[in-house]
Amino acid sequence: MTLLFIPGIRDESDFEINLNGPGAELDLAGLYLCPSSEDLQIKVKVKHNSGGCLSRQLFKGIVGGRARAGFDGLIYVAQDSQKTKAYQESHSILLSPEARAESRPQLEIYADDVECSHGATTGFLNLDELFYMRSRGIPEAEARRLQMLSFIAPVLSRLDESRQAAVLEQMNAFQL
Amino acid sequence: MENGILLQIKDLHAGIEGREILKGVNLTIRRGEIHAVMGPNGAGKSTLSAVLAGKPEYRVTSGSIEFAGHNLLEMTPEERSWAGIFLSFQYPVEIPGVSITNFMKTAVNARRKAAGEPELSAGAFLKLLKEKMAFVQMKPEFAKREVNVGFSGGEKKRNEIFQMAMIDPLFGILDETDSGLDVDALKIVAEGVNALKSPEKAFMIITHYQKLLEYIVPDVVHVLKDGLIVKTGGRDLADRIWQNGFEGIDE
Repeated sequence: MTLLFIPGIRDESDFEINLNGPGAELDLAGLYLCPSSEDLQIKVKVKHNSGGCLSRQLFKGIVGGRARAGFDGLIYVAQDSQKTKAYQESHSILLSPEARAESRPQLEIYADDVECSHGATTGFLNLDELFYMRSRGIPEAEARRLQMLSFIAPVLSRLDESRQAAVLEQMNAFQL
Repeated sequence: MENGILLQIKDLHAGIEGREILKGVNLTIRRGEIHAVMGPNGAGKSTLSAVLAGKPEYRVTSGSIEFAGHNLLEMTPEERSWAGIFLSFQYPVEIPGVSITNFMKTAVNARRKAAGEPELSAGAFLKLLKEKMAFVQMKPEFAKREVNVGFSGGEKKRNEIFQMAMIDPLFGILDETDSGLDVDALKIVAEGVNALKSPEKAFMIITHYQKLLEYIVPDVVHVLKDGLIVKTGGRDLADRIWQNGFEGIDE
Protein backbone atom coordinates (compact mmCIF):
# COMPACT_ATOMS: atom_id res chain seq x y z
CA MET A 1 0.00 0.00 0.00
CA THR A 2 1.29 3.44 -0.91
CA LEU A 3 -0.18 6.67 0.44
CA LEU A 4 0.17 9.86 -1.59
CA PHE A 5 -0.37 13.33 -0.17
CA ILE A 6 -0.45 15.88 -2.94
CA PRO A 7 0.18 19.63 -3.02
CA GLY A 8 -2.56 21.79 -1.56
CA ILE A 9 -3.38 19.45 1.28
CA ARG A 10 -4.37 20.83 4.69
CA ASP A 11 -5.39 17.86 6.67
CA GLU A 12 -4.82 15.48 9.50
CA SER A 13 -4.76 11.91 8.27
CA ASP A 14 -5.09 9.07 10.73
CA PHE A 15 -4.39 5.48 9.85
CA GLU A 16 -4.57 2.47 12.06
CA ILE A 17 -3.49 -0.86 10.68
CA ASN A 18 -4.01 -4.00 12.72
CA LEU A 19 -2.03 -7.15 12.07
CA ASN A 20 -4.35 -9.71 13.63
CA GLY A 21 -3.45 -13.01 12.04
CA PRO A 22 -0.20 -14.83 12.82
CA GLY A 23 2.44 -14.11 10.16
CA ALA A 24 0.57 -11.22 8.56
CA GLU A 25 2.67 -8.77 6.58
CA LEU A 26 2.36 -5.06 5.91
CA ASP A 27 4.35 -3.17 3.34
CA LEU A 28 3.41 0.49 3.63
CA ALA A 29 4.94 3.54 1.99
CA GLY A 30 3.95 7.15 1.84
CA LEU A 31 4.90 10.24 -0.07
CA TYR A 32 3.96 13.79 0.83
CA LEU A 33 4.57 16.75 -1.43
CA CYS A 34 4.09 20.08 0.33
CA PRO A 35 5.47 22.86 -1.87
CA SER A 36 3.92 26.04 -0.48
CA SER A 37 1.44 26.46 2.38
CA GLU A 38 0.32 22.92 3.15
CA ASP A 39 -0.39 21.85 6.68
CA LEU A 40 -0.30 18.11 6.97
CA GLN A 41 -0.24 15.75 9.92
CA ILE A 42 0.12 12.08 9.13
CA LYS A 43 -0.57 9.70 11.98
CA VAL A 44 0.09 6.05 11.42
CA LYS A 45 -0.49 3.38 14.00
CA VAL A 46 0.65 -0.12 13.15
CA LYS A 47 -0.51 -2.67 15.70
CA HIS A 48 1.07 -6.10 15.91
CA ASN A 49 -1.72 -7.97 17.68
CA SER A 50 -0.45 -11.38 16.69
CA GLY A 51 2.93 -13.09 16.69
CA GLY A 52 5.34 -13.52 13.78
CA CYS A 53 4.05 -10.56 11.80
CA LEU A 54 6.20 -8.28 9.66
CA SER A 55 5.62 -4.60 9.01
CA ARG A 56 7.68 -2.26 6.90
CA GLN A 57 7.03 1.45 6.55
CA LEU A 58 8.79 4.00 4.39
CA PHE A 59 7.64 7.63 4.33
CA LYS A 60 9.25 10.37 2.30
CA GLY A 61 8.30 14.01 2.11
CA ILE A 62 9.44 17.19 0.42
CA VAL A 63 8.45 20.38 2.19
CA GLY A 64 8.95 23.86 0.77
CA GLY A 65 7.59 27.40 1.04
CA ARG A 66 5.91 27.87 4.41
CA ALA A 67 4.45 24.39 4.50
CA ARG A 68 4.34 22.21 7.59
CA ALA A 69 4.37 18.47 7.68
CA GLY A 70 4.37 16.15 10.61
CA PHE A 71 4.66 12.41 10.75
CA ASP A 72 3.69 10.45 13.85
CA GLY A 73 4.42 6.80 13.55
CA LEU A 74 3.54 4.41 16.31
CA ILE A 75 4.51 0.79 16.27
CA TYR A 76 2.58 -1.18 18.88
CA VAL A 77 3.52 -4.74 19.73
CA ALA A 78 1.14 -6.64 22.04
CA GLN A 79 2.43 -8.80 24.86
CA ASP A 80 1.94 -12.12 23.09
CA SER A 81 3.18 -10.94 19.70
CA GLN A 82 6.54 -12.69 19.87
CA LYS A 83 8.80 -12.88 16.80
CA THR A 84 7.48 -9.55 15.58
CA LYS A 85 9.50 -7.69 13.00
CA ALA A 86 8.67 -4.03 12.55
CA TYR A 87 10.61 -1.41 10.65
CA GLN A 88 9.82 2.22 10.06
CA GLU A 89 11.67 4.92 8.17
CA SER A 90 10.63 8.51 7.75
CA HIS A 91 12.69 11.03 5.82
CA SER A 92 12.00 14.55 4.73
CA ILE A 93 13.74 17.25 2.73
CA LEU A 94 13.25 20.93 3.46
CA LEU A 95 13.44 23.31 0.51
CA SER A 96 13.11 26.64 2.28
CA PRO A 97 14.11 28.18 5.61
CA GLU A 98 10.44 28.61 6.56
CA ALA A 99 9.37 25.05 5.82
CA ARG A 100 8.91 22.73 8.80
CA ALA A 101 8.94 18.99 8.99
CA GLU A 102 8.82 16.83 12.06
CA SER A 103 9.01 13.11 12.51
CA ARG A 104 7.92 11.54 15.75
CA PRO A 105 8.52 7.82 15.73
CA GLN A 106 7.20 5.90 18.73
CA LEU A 107 7.58 2.32 19.80
CA GLU A 108 5.22 0.71 22.27
CA ILE A 109 6.41 -2.81 22.81
CA TYR A 110 5.09 -5.33 25.33
CA ALA A 111 6.62 -8.52 23.92
CA ASP A 112 10.28 -9.38 24.54
CA ASP A 113 11.28 -11.35 21.43
CA VAL A 114 10.94 -8.68 18.75
CA GLU A 115 13.03 -6.93 16.12
CA CYS A 116 12.01 -3.31 15.71
CA SER A 117 13.77 -0.30 14.25
CA HIS A 118 12.96 3.21 13.21
CA GLY A 119 14.91 5.93 11.51
CA ALA A 120 13.96 9.52 10.91
CA THR A 121 15.88 12.28 9.15
CA THR A 122 15.17 15.82 8.05
CA GLY A 123 17.65 17.42 5.70
CA PHE A 124 18.29 19.60 2.70
CA LEU A 125 19.17 18.86 -0.90
CA ASN A 126 22.84 17.88 -1.04
CA LEU A 127 25.08 20.66 -2.38
CA ASP A 128 27.78 18.36 -3.76
CA GLU A 129 25.16 16.44 -5.71
CA LEU A 130 23.74 19.71 -7.04
CA PHE A 131 27.17 20.91 -8.19
CA TYR A 132 27.93 17.55 -9.81
CA MET A 133 24.76 17.77 -11.88
CA ARG A 134 25.30 21.42 -12.83
CA SER A 135 28.90 20.69 -13.85
CA ARG A 136 27.42 18.35 -16.48
CA GLY A 137 25.36 21.21 -17.88
CA ILE A 138 22.07 20.51 -16.09
CA PRO A 139 20.54 23.88 -15.12
CA GLU A 140 20.09 24.48 -11.40
CA ALA A 141 16.29 24.21 -11.38
CA GLU A 142 16.36 20.97 -13.36
CA ALA A 143 19.12 19.61 -11.14
CA ARG A 144 17.00 20.29 -8.05
CA ARG A 145 14.10 18.52 -9.68
CA LEU A 146 16.34 15.55 -10.42
CA GLN A 147 17.53 15.58 -6.80
CA MET A 148 13.95 15.47 -5.61
CA LEU A 149 13.23 12.56 -7.95
CA SER A 150 16.31 10.81 -6.57
CA PHE A 151 14.99 11.33 -3.05
CA ILE A 152 11.47 10.02 -3.71
CA ALA A 153 12.57 7.23 -6.07
CA PRO A 154 12.14 4.40 -3.51
CA VAL A 155 8.47 5.31 -3.09
CA LEU A 156 7.85 6.38 -6.69
CA SER A 157 9.12 3.06 -8.03
CA ARG A 158 6.29 1.25 -6.21
CA LEU A 159 3.66 2.96 -8.35
CA ASP A 160 2.43 1.98 -11.79
CA GLU A 161 3.39 4.15 -14.75
CA SER A 162 0.26 6.28 -14.86
CA ARG A 163 0.48 7.10 -11.16
CA GLN A 164 4.18 7.85 -11.50
CA ALA A 165 3.32 10.30 -14.27
CA ALA A 166 0.66 11.87 -12.05
CA VAL A 167 3.19 12.33 -9.23
CA LEU A 168 5.72 13.87 -11.64
CA GLU A 169 2.99 16.27 -12.76
CA GLN A 170 2.39 17.26 -9.13
CA MET A 171 6.13 17.87 -8.68
CA ASN A 172 5.74 20.90 -10.96
CA ALA A 173 4.11 22.68 -8.01
CA PHE A 174 7.55 23.11 -6.45
CA GLN A 175 9.14 26.49 -7.08
CA LEU A 176 12.70 25.81 -8.09
CA MET B 1 41.67 34.94 -28.20
CA GLU B 2 45.13 35.53 -29.60
CA ASN B 3 47.69 32.83 -30.27
CA GLY B 4 45.18 30.06 -29.81
CA ILE B 5 44.86 30.70 -26.08
CA LEU B 6 41.90 28.76 -24.66
CA LEU B 7 42.29 29.48 -20.95
CA GLN B 8 44.06 32.34 -19.26
CA ILE B 9 44.26 32.60 -15.50
CA LYS B 10 45.76 35.80 -14.10
CA ASP B 11 46.80 36.39 -10.50
CA LEU B 12 44.04 34.15 -9.15
CA HIS B 13 43.41 34.32 -5.43
CA ALA B 14 40.71 31.97 -4.15
CA GLY B 15 39.73 29.98 -1.14
CA ILE B 16 36.97 28.50 0.95
CA GLU B 17 35.49 29.41 4.32
CA GLY B 18 37.65 32.52 4.59
CA ARG B 19 40.87 30.59 4.04
CA GLU B 20 42.99 31.62 1.04
CA ILE B 21 44.26 28.55 -0.83
CA LEU B 22 45.27 29.89 -4.25
CA LYS B 23 47.61 32.83 -3.74
CA GLY B 24 48.16 34.31 -7.18
CA VAL B 25 48.02 31.58 -9.81
CA ASN B 26 48.97 32.48 -13.39
CA LEU B 27 48.35 29.90 -16.08
CA THR B 28 47.91 29.99 -19.85
CA ILE B 29 46.65 27.01 -21.81
CA ARG B 30 46.52 26.98 -25.60
CA ARG B 31 44.25 24.93 -27.79
CA GLY B 32 45.65 21.52 -28.62
CA GLU B 33 47.74 21.34 -25.46
CA ILE B 34 47.71 18.93 -22.56
CA HIS B 35 48.87 20.41 -19.27
CA ALA B 36 49.71 18.46 -16.16
CA VAL B 37 49.40 20.07 -12.75
CA MET B 38 51.35 18.27 -10.08
CA GLY B 39 51.96 19.10 -6.48
CA PRO B 40 51.92 17.79 -2.94
CA ASN B 41 48.75 17.36 -0.89
CA GLY B 42 47.19 20.64 0.15
CA ALA B 43 48.92 22.61 -2.62
CA GLY B 44 45.57 23.80 -4.01
CA LYS B 45 45.17 21.44 -6.98
CA SER B 46 41.58 20.51 -6.23
CA THR B 47 40.75 24.13 -5.36
CA LEU B 48 41.98 25.14 -8.81
CA SER B 49 39.73 22.59 -10.52
CA ALA B 50 36.75 23.51 -8.30
CA VAL B 51 37.20 27.22 -9.06
CA LEU B 52 37.43 26.53 -12.81
CA ALA B 53 34.20 24.51 -12.72
CA GLY B 54 32.49 27.12 -10.52
CA LYS B 55 31.86 25.27 -7.27
CA PRO B 56 29.71 27.79 -5.35
CA GLU B 57 31.37 27.25 -1.95
CA TYR B 58 34.66 28.64 -3.29
CA ARG B 59 35.28 32.38 -3.30
CA VAL B 60 37.52 34.13 -5.78
CA THR B 61 38.89 37.22 -4.04
CA SER B 62 40.92 38.62 -6.94
CA GLY B 63 42.31 37.83 -10.36
CA SER B 64 40.66 36.79 -13.61
CA ILE B 65 39.90 33.71 -15.67
CA GLU B 66 39.20 34.06 -19.37
CA PHE B 67 37.99 30.98 -21.21
CA ALA B 68 37.27 30.90 -24.96
CA GLY B 69 36.29 34.57 -24.92
CA HIS B 70 34.18 34.32 -21.76
CA ASN B 71 34.74 35.90 -18.37
CA LEU B 72 34.48 32.60 -16.57
CA LEU B 73 34.06 34.06 -13.10
CA GLU B 74 30.69 35.57 -14.06
CA MET B 75 29.27 32.24 -15.16
CA THR B 76 27.26 29.58 -13.31
CA PRO B 77 28.56 25.99 -13.28
CA GLU B 78 26.07 24.98 -15.98
CA GLU B 79 27.03 27.94 -18.19
CA ARG B 80 30.68 26.93 -17.87
CA SER B 81 29.72 23.41 -18.88
CA TRP B 82 27.84 24.74 -21.91
CA ALA B 83 30.90 26.83 -22.82
CA GLY B 84 32.95 23.63 -22.90
CA ILE B 85 34.42 23.02 -19.45
CA PHE B 86 34.22 19.51 -18.03
CA LEU B 87 35.49 18.46 -14.62
CA SER B 88 36.16 14.81 -13.91
CA PHE B 89 35.61 14.68 -10.15
CA GLN B 90 38.16 13.29 -7.74
CA TYR B 91 35.24 11.99 -5.69
CA PRO B 92 32.30 11.40 -8.06
CA VAL B 93 28.93 11.88 -6.37
CA GLU B 94 26.38 9.10 -5.92
CA ILE B 95 22.85 9.81 -7.12
CA PRO B 96 20.49 7.08 -5.86
CA GLY B 97 17.33 6.52 -7.86
CA VAL B 98 18.70 8.15 -11.04
CA SER B 99 20.05 5.85 -13.73
CA ILE B 100 23.11 6.69 -15.80
CA THR B 101 20.84 6.73 -18.86
CA ASN B 102 18.40 9.18 -17.28
CA PHE B 103 21.21 11.36 -15.93
CA MET B 104 23.03 11.55 -19.25
CA LYS B 105 19.83 12.10 -21.22
CA THR B 106 19.01 15.04 -18.94
CA ALA B 107 22.53 16.44 -19.31
CA VAL B 108 22.80 15.96 -23.08
CA ASN B 109 19.40 17.49 -23.77
CA ALA B 110 19.96 20.40 -21.37
CA ARG B 111 23.16 21.17 -23.24
CA ARG B 112 21.41 20.95 -26.60
CA LYS B 113 18.65 23.22 -25.39
CA ALA B 114 21.24 25.76 -24.20
CA ALA B 115 22.81 25.63 -27.67
CA GLY B 116 19.42 26.14 -29.34
CA GLU B 117 19.36 22.60 -30.73
CA PRO B 118 16.41 20.19 -30.59
CA GLU B 119 16.48 17.25 -28.16
CA LEU B 120 18.06 14.05 -29.39
CA SER B 121 15.57 11.35 -30.37
CA ALA B 122 15.48 8.36 -28.02
CA GLY B 123 17.12 6.21 -30.69
CA ALA B 124 19.92 8.65 -31.44
CA PHE B 125 20.60 9.11 -27.73
CA LEU B 126 20.81 5.36 -27.07
CA LYS B 127 23.15 4.92 -30.01
CA LEU B 128 25.45 7.62 -28.63
CA LEU B 129 25.25 6.12 -25.13
CA LYS B 130 26.16 2.63 -26.34
CA GLU B 131 28.98 3.92 -28.48
CA LYS B 132 30.58 5.88 -25.64
CA MET B 133 30.10 3.09 -23.11
CA ALA B 134 31.90 0.72 -25.45
CA PHE B 135 34.59 3.37 -25.93
CA VAL B 136 35.48 3.33 -22.21
CA GLN B 137 34.80 -0.43 -21.97
CA MET B 138 31.89 0.01 -19.60
CA LYS B 139 29.57 -2.99 -19.42
CA PRO B 140 26.18 -2.29 -21.09
CA GLU B 141 24.26 -3.13 -17.88
CA PHE B 142 25.72 0.02 -16.29
CA ALA B 143 23.29 2.08 -18.39
CA LYS B 144 20.54 1.09 -15.96
CA ARG B 145 22.60 1.42 -12.79
CA GLU B 146 22.03 4.31 -10.42
CA VAL B 147 24.75 6.94 -10.91
CA ASN B 148 27.86 5.81 -8.99
CA VAL B 149 25.81 3.87 -6.40
CA GLY B 150 27.71 0.77 -5.36
CA PHE B 151 30.46 1.47 -7.90
CA SER B 152 34.07 0.59 -7.10
CA GLY B 153 36.61 3.41 -7.18
CA GLY B 154 37.70 2.39 -10.67
CA GLU B 155 34.11 2.15 -11.94
CA LYS B 156 33.39 5.67 -10.69
CA LYS B 157 36.41 7.06 -12.52
CA ARG B 158 35.46 5.16 -15.65
CA ASN B 159 31.99 6.68 -15.40
CA GLU B 160 33.59 10.14 -15.29
CA ILE B 161 35.54 9.45 -18.48
CA PHE B 162 32.39 8.00 -20.07
CA GLN B 163 30.52 11.23 -19.25
CA MET B 164 33.41 13.26 -20.62
CA ALA B 165 33.22 11.26 -23.85
CA MET B 166 29.43 11.82 -24.04
CA ILE B 167 29.87 15.57 -23.60
CA ASP B 168 33.08 15.91 -25.65
CA PRO B 169 34.24 19.13 -23.95
CA LEU B 170 36.50 21.88 -25.24
CA PHE B 171 38.48 21.74 -22.00
CA GLY B 172 38.63 18.62 -19.84
CA ILE B 173 39.96 18.79 -16.29
CA LEU B 174 40.88 15.46 -14.74
CA ASP B 175 41.15 15.92 -10.97
CA GLU B 176 43.21 12.98 -9.76
CA THR B 177 41.27 10.68 -12.02
CA ASP B 178 44.22 8.29 -11.77
CA SER B 179 44.23 7.86 -8.00
CA GLY B 180 43.26 4.36 -6.97
CA LEU B 181 43.30 2.99 -10.52
CA ASP B 182 45.17 -0.08 -11.70
CA VAL B 183 47.21 0.02 -14.90
CA ASP B 184 44.37 -1.30 -17.09
CA ALA B 185 42.00 1.39 -15.83
CA LEU B 186 44.73 4.02 -16.27
CA LYS B 187 45.10 2.99 -19.88
CA ILE B 188 41.35 3.37 -20.46
CA VAL B 189 41.44 6.89 -18.99
CA ALA B 190 44.47 7.73 -21.13
CA GLU B 191 42.90 6.29 -24.29
CA GLY B 192 39.82 8.39 -23.56
CA VAL B 193 41.82 11.60 -23.33
CA ASN B 194 44.02 10.76 -26.30
CA ALA B 195 40.99 9.95 -28.47
CA LEU B 196 39.16 13.14 -27.48
CA LYS B 197 42.08 15.49 -27.95
CA SER B 198 42.10 17.69 -31.03
CA PRO B 199 43.69 20.96 -32.20
CA GLU B 200 40.72 22.93 -30.81
CA LYS B 201 40.64 21.35 -27.36
CA ALA B 202 42.84 21.21 -24.29
CA PHE B 203 43.15 19.15 -21.13
CA MET B 204 44.40 19.72 -17.63
CA ILE B 205 45.55 16.59 -15.83
CA ILE B 206 45.84 17.03 -12.08
CA THR B 207 47.86 14.25 -10.57
CA HIS B 208 50.12 13.16 -7.75
CA TYR B 209 51.80 10.52 -9.80
CA GLN B 210 53.77 10.43 -12.99
CA LYS B 211 52.27 7.08 -14.00
CA LEU B 212 49.29 8.47 -15.94
CA LEU B 213 51.67 10.82 -17.75
CA GLU B 214 53.36 7.82 -19.33
CA TYR B 215 50.12 7.24 -21.24
CA ILE B 216 48.96 10.83 -21.67
CA VAL B 217 51.99 12.81 -22.72
CA PRO B 218 51.69 16.39 -21.44
CA ASP B 219 52.99 19.34 -23.43
CA VAL B 220 53.48 21.39 -20.28
CA VAL B 221 53.95 20.39 -16.65
CA HIS B 222 53.28 22.77 -13.74
CA VAL B 223 54.13 22.33 -10.11
CA LEU B 224 51.63 23.86 -7.71
CA LYS B 225 52.84 24.39 -4.17
CA ASP B 226 51.31 26.41 -1.35
CA GLY B 227 48.81 27.99 -3.73
CA LEU B 228 51.34 29.12 -6.33
CA ILE B 229 52.73 27.66 -9.53
CA VAL B 230 56.37 27.43 -8.57
CA LYS B 231 57.72 25.72 -11.67
CA THR B 232 56.65 25.17 -15.26
CA GLY B 233 58.46 22.91 -17.66
CA GLY B 234 58.21 20.18 -20.22
CA ARG B 235 57.45 16.56 -19.73
CA ASP B 236 60.88 15.89 -18.21
CA LEU B 237 59.80 17.93 -15.17
CA ALA B 238 57.32 15.17 -14.30
CA ASP B 239 60.12 12.58 -14.48
CA ARG B 240 62.33 14.68 -12.23
CA ILE B 241 59.54 15.01 -9.67
CA TRP B 242 59.00 11.27 -9.80
CA GLN B 243 62.67 10.65 -9.02
CA ASN B 244 63.30 13.42 -6.49
CA GLY B 245 59.89 14.36 -5.09
CA PHE B 246 58.54 17.88 -4.78
CA GLU B 247 61.21 19.06 -2.35
CA GLY B 248 63.53 21.62 -3.85
CA ILE B 249 61.60 21.79 -7.12
CA ASP B 250 61.03 25.54 -6.77
CA GLU B 251 64.63 26.34 -5.96
